[in-house]
Amino acid sequence: MLGFVIQRLMQAFVVMLVISALVFVGVYAVGNPIDVLISPDATQLIREQTIRAYGLDQPLWKQYLDFLGRLSRGDFGRSFVFNMPVLDLIFSRLPATIELTLAAVFGATLLGVPLGIYAGYRPESPISKAIMALSILGFSVPTFWIGLVLIFTFAVTLGWLPAGNRGDTVTIFGVQWSFLTWNGLTHLFLPALNLSLFKFAMMVRLARAGTRETMLTDTVKFARAAGESEWTILSRHVLRLIAIPIVTVFGLELGSTLAFAVVTETIFSWPGVGKLIIDSISTLDRPVMVAYLMLVAFLFIVINFTVDIAYAALDPRLRTRRAA
Amino acid sequence: MSALLEVRGLTTHFDTRGGVLKAVEDVSFEVGEGEIVGLVGESGSGKSVTGFSILGLVDAPGRIVSGSVRFAGRELVGLGHGALRSMRGREMAMVFQDPSATLNPVLTVGQQMRLAIAAHERVGEAAATARCVEALTIVGIPDAARRLENYPHQFSGGMRQRVAIAIALLNRPKLIICDEPTTALDVSIQAQILTEMKSLAARLGTAMIWISHDLATVSSVASRLLVMYAGRIIEAGPVASVLRSPRHPYTRGLLNSLPSMARPGQDLVQIPGSMPSLANLPEGCSFRPRCPKAQEDCKVMPALTGDGARAFRCRHPLDREVAA
Ligand SMILES: Nc1ncnc2c1ncn2[C@@H]1O[C@H](COP(=O)(O)OP(=O)(O)OP(=O)(O)O)[C@@H](O)[C@H]1O
Ligand SMILES: [Mg+2]
Repeated sequence: MLGFVIQRLMQAFVVMLVISALVFVGVYAVGNPIDVLISPDATQLIREQTIRAYGLDQPLWKQYLDFLGRLSRGDFGRSFVFNMPVLDLIFSRLPATIELTLAAVFGATLLGVPLGIYAGYRPESPISKAIMALSILGFSVPTFWIGLVLIFTFAVTLGWLPAGNRGDTVTIFGVQWSFLTWNGLTHLFLPALNLSLFKFAMMVRLARAGTRETMLTDTVKFARAAGESEWTILSRHVLRLIAIPIVTVFGLELGSTLAFAVVTETIFSWPGVGKLIIDSISTLDRPVMVAYLMLVAFLFIVINFTVDIAYAALDPRLRTRRAA
Repeated sequence: MSALLEVRGLTTHFDTRGGVLKAVEDVSFEVGEGEIVGLVGESGSGKSVTGFSILGLVDAPGRIVSGSVRFAGRELVGLGHGALRSMRGREMAMVFQDPSATLNPVLTVGQQMRLAIAAHERVGEAAATARCVEALTIVGIPDAARRLENYPHQFSGGMRQRVAIAIALLNRPKLIICDEPTTALDVSIQAQILTEMKSLAARLGTAMIWISHDLATVSSVASRLLVMYAGRIIEAGPVASVLRSPRHPYTRGLLNSLPSMARPGQDLVQIPGSMPSLANLPEGCSFRPRCPKAQEDCKVMPALTGDGARAFRCRHPLDREVAA
């Protein structure tokens, strides 16, 4: 197990290095931030001073090496636009996104998996058909459109829920959280719902397909022949057997939502990193883009690693093979 | 004295898109207390479906159309789900062909055994463990207490099937239906398990229905033989008597195709043709198209007739051989 962890850490290091180079080159190609940073009527002198101050006069490889050097000291640089350390900037926005993502992904899983199991267990019942219809809807209707419909219905027409922003927050360990106040929760509900619909649909499908397949196996027949109740069979046998694909998708969704909740955050003016990255792209705020993309890559590495560990916990066959 | 299990006119059909599949048709037999009855027939002749029908475990789209299954004087056909479930595992159990498919790969053997106990009684942790250890020891698994923590993949094929048998034995059922439990194992282990099961049944007084497509295997465990063809029992009787002088041409054909029955150097004799589709059975006797003795009157289904212990479903039975 330890060997496995060390091997993965080394892989992660190499991957991060490659990503940093790709990101650096990619961001460099997007455009020259000088045009955004300096007003068009600045003098040539100011222009050159600014270019030098940001190190933009150096060749690309030199800029990259400087960046790596600073990185090794934990310094991601300063935002051109906000003129503050990039990490501080990102971490000030991250809790909002984490909160939104966790609410959406957990909500989708905790609701989608049981409903999917039911739909797989009783495929012909009208309730199952309704669940499947809902999941088709979640799959096929675009997120932004659902977001707008939600706002129009619940915020504008009915006036039950707020249309945007985080609402009241509570500070814990220097981080602000919305879900601890009633007002914050009402603000969280619509964007989380919006974000979770697609994931809910996916979880329903996965759980349903897995359950249908598992119900036909000899494992289930043998458990029935031993007199085990249908509830025991679903909760102890089937759930464990379908857990692996569900955990995989859960991890991937967690990662991609943390990274790309952009659409929902924009529609609901949710002050998370998704909005930050969109803004930084339009202002060509290179340090923010680079740091953000590297953070996303890091996040995926951590999540994949966690999912692998979860596999071993869920499937004893993998555990033995790895130990061998 | 009435038999432990009395099956009368059991008929199970599958309503498929290709028509009604008559998997089991008018099957009648008895199993006495502690008796081992062998059920032979080629693949698809309805042996497993017969077993599942007895346990009330026929999968949709299958259903028991008519007939009666009396177990210890109690009618099981038409019994409610709950009552049937509480009988399964406690009064009668079933063991399947492939132990790597029947055992749940992600639960330890101990967990699975405890589920099978918990299906019928509330038992304390220590008492449950003691019972699991006892059952594993009975079927010849050494170091049983430690093995409870193992997963199925940590056992060899033969040991895995012993675990499945131990689970079937946990609640001391009066009848175990063994659906080709040794077919997936290699020959030496097959013989071992066969012998052990036979002495186990004698020691515990457990009755068995031993299902197999292999006449030789069945003959070595069972005292009485049922031969099935295309969903019907076509011959029944004590093993020795059926082997010595089969009365149905199909049984004769089966015997001729057995390597152990042929003289060395002599070619094995195959029955020409193959079993008809169960959705489209020929008029009259199902074996008629393949039968060397078929005549015009075989176009009407013959009844299961016989003298005393021997019964057969044929109008032109083979002569009884004089003991040579
Ligand atoms: N769930 C099902 N749906 C449709 N048909 C089925 C189903 N289960 C069994 N059958 C059909 O019932 C018939 C009898 O099957 P059964 O499994 O009893 O045969 P068997 O004698 O046990 O054969 P084998 O030696 O291959 O196990 C087969 O034609 C099979 O196709
Ligand atoms: Mg079978």
